[in-house]
Amino acid sequence: MERPGNYELPLSVTLREVVMEHAGGVSGGRALKAVIPGGASAPVLTPQHLDVGMDFESLAAAGSMGGSGGVIVMAEGTCMVKVGEVVARFFHHESCGQCTQCREGTAWLHKVLARIERGGGRREDLDLLLDVCDNMTGKTICVLSDAAALPVASYVQYFRDEFEAHVRERRCPFAA
Amino acid sequence: MPTFTLNGKPLTVPPGTTVLEAALGAGIEIPHYCYHPGLPVEGSCRMCQVEVENSPKLLIACATPVAEGMVVRSVSEKVEKARQAVLEFYLLNHPLDCPVCDKGGECPLQDYTMRFGPGGSRYTEPKVKRVKHKKIGPYIVFDAERCILCTRCVRFCRDVVGTGELGVVFRGVQSEIDLFPGKALDNPYSGNVIDLCPVGALTSERYRFQARPWDLVKQEPSVCPGCSRGCSTLLDVRHLERKGPEVLRVRPRHNPAVNGYWICDLGRFETLPALGRCQLRGPSLRTGAGREPVGVPEAVAALGSHLGSLLQEAEPGAVGVIASSRLTCEELYLVRRLARDVLGTPHLDFRVRPAQMPGGDQAEDHLLLRRDRTPNSEGARRLGVLPGPEGLDVAGMLRAAKAGTLKALLVFGEDLLEEGGPAGAAEALETLAFLAVWDSRETPTARRAHLLFPLPGLTEKVGTVVNFAGHLQRLAQVVRPEGAVPSLGEVLGGLARAWGKPFPLGSPEEIWREVAAALGGGLPEEPQAIPEGGILLPAGAP
Repeated sequence: MERPGNYELPLSVTLREVVMEHAGGVSGGRALKAVIPGGASAPVLTPQHLDVGMDFESLAAAGSMGGSGGVIVMAEGTCMVKVGEVVARFFHHESCGQCTQCREGTAWLHKVLARIERGGGRREDLDLLLDVCDNMTGKTICVLSDAAALPVASYVQYFRDEFEAHVRERRCPFAA
Repeated sequence: MPTFTLNGKPLTVPPGTTVLEAALGAGIEIPHYCYHPGLPVEGSCRMCQVEVENSPKLLIACATPVAEGMVVRSVSEKVEKARQAVLEFYLLNHPLDCPVCDKGGECPLQDYTMRFGPGGSRYTEPKVKRVKHKKIGPYIVFDAERCILCTRCVRFCRDVVGTGELGVVFRGVQSEIDLFPGKALDNPYSGNVIDLCPVGALTSERYRFQARPWDLVKQEPSVCPGCSRGCSTLLDVRHLERKGPEVLRVRPRHNPAVNGYWICDLGRFETLPALGRCQLRGPSLRTGAGREPVGVPEAVAALGSHLGSLLQEAEPGAVGVIASSRLTCEELYLVRRLARDVLGTPHLDFRVRPAQMPGGDQAEDHLLLRRDRTPNSEGARRLGVLPGPEGLDVAGMLRAAKAGTLKALLVFGEDLLEEGGPAGAAEALETLAFLAVWDSRETPTARRAHLLFPLPGLTEKVGTVVNFAGHLQRLAQVVRPEGAVPSLGEVLGGLARAWGKPFPLGSPEEIWREVAAALGGGLPEEPQAIPEGGILLPAGAP
């Protein structure tokens, strides 16, 4: 961002205002590709969602959540598979391991995303990721499992063509 | 009492009952791993998820108390998908070494996977490698790869035994059960984690690779003879053509009135190897240099002639009888009849150790073990295996033997020379004119016997025992003794017949009826009719 920082704003503000006005837009004038509105556990939003209000109800209606309020903006050229790998690695590391779905699921998601990112993906991996995410959601003692699964599912949902490109080209198309 | 419906079936249960308890009580299976009725609820395996009407998420049956009017489904598309997913997650890093796993064939992970699991795996990533065999205690070997982290073992050690040797270390998929530093799984109840483990992660070092579950053709309900608790057990019996039946495992049998879900390691691993089988192959006589085997009829005749000639010269009080409370009620009853009706001596006792004296048998810990390490002291007491009028107790008999007034001693199943045994036993035995011993092993006492009879081991006879609280249970006969091992009835009956004395000569069933009467009556006519859980005899009777 041009002006990354810590902002205190009223709940009525829109995501566009936060990103484009207060934070000054994507640095270097690049196009905005995706926004995580509330920390790593929040499902991703795309430019079409920029007018959503930054309040809990509106974000939930848009399929994401306010969460921690930590807004993460990704510019064009960012690999969403790589984003998935990083987020999954984080939750894999965070899982306490008590509940079966979270203990095994967070590790599984991370391994599959890392494999796709390194060119070892298969067509069936995309539906596998979505189904594993479904099996991890709403089934455990705490919501860390949901927090790990929901963002990954959203990456596959909004950027499926990018995942497919990784599989097709057997490499990361964004790699230099 | 709240009423709810489970899969359309109305069930009424006491308040506070969980859905899982209600289901299991009604014979409806809801698959589960971390739940165990003897342990606090954990709720982490997520296997017992059920659909509850008006609840947006699935709920775990083990931690959901029944509420009035609740509508629960354990069979639905949503439940089945969730359950299948849990099994798939479990198998991701499970080694699937079922063909070489002790648990294979009696494994809840196998069974639920076959019934509710996915047919194949979608997992193509490398599995996590972990330690495959780590000896974590005197009896237990741990395989971390097979573990599904249900934490039953952790909760057992922490909440039931209170020693807490085990915990979960690391986190996420790296989580593992392990010992706390400097600890070993060596509490006196450690073997229970083998039964608790729903997979083959905690196995018995003794039983490891000895058999497959389907080789264990019989599960005989029996009683542990290791202490006066008399825990209900199941004996797993294998039958090899060339070896015949043998007990390969001792497991606890749930009995809320006696031992709950558990048994101690002594009873599981040590007691039957020591007492289960008769190690003697026939009667023997002491000769100058050693022992000479004799046939059973000759031995019975020798017993008769020794005692007969002694009683011609001396009063019946010259004979003493000591019977172990390891004997069954049936055997003790015969010994008492022998002393009173055949020999006519009042010198009869079973109390060899302080723990068998009134008030001497205390609990050894907060769980099961008791100080009296014999299973039938209460039976002996109730059947009157005690000194008669002017009769001598064990200590008195030994003093009288040393003084030369007691000339003959019959000892049934007891080693008087054992550590902690009665004082002065060695000298007393030396001065006896005649010592006859019945035992299943060649104990130091048995070695000194002029006449030694083999006694069937505790898996080689039928019979009953009464625990410290007056709970009567049946022992199972699993094997036949090897060699010429007569029952006590055969030997004592033979003597009584030769002397023309009245004596119960019948089958164990007929002897039971007399035992039942001697115990105060009100007991089943047939020993087979004694319920598996046993019978609590009225306090103080007879």
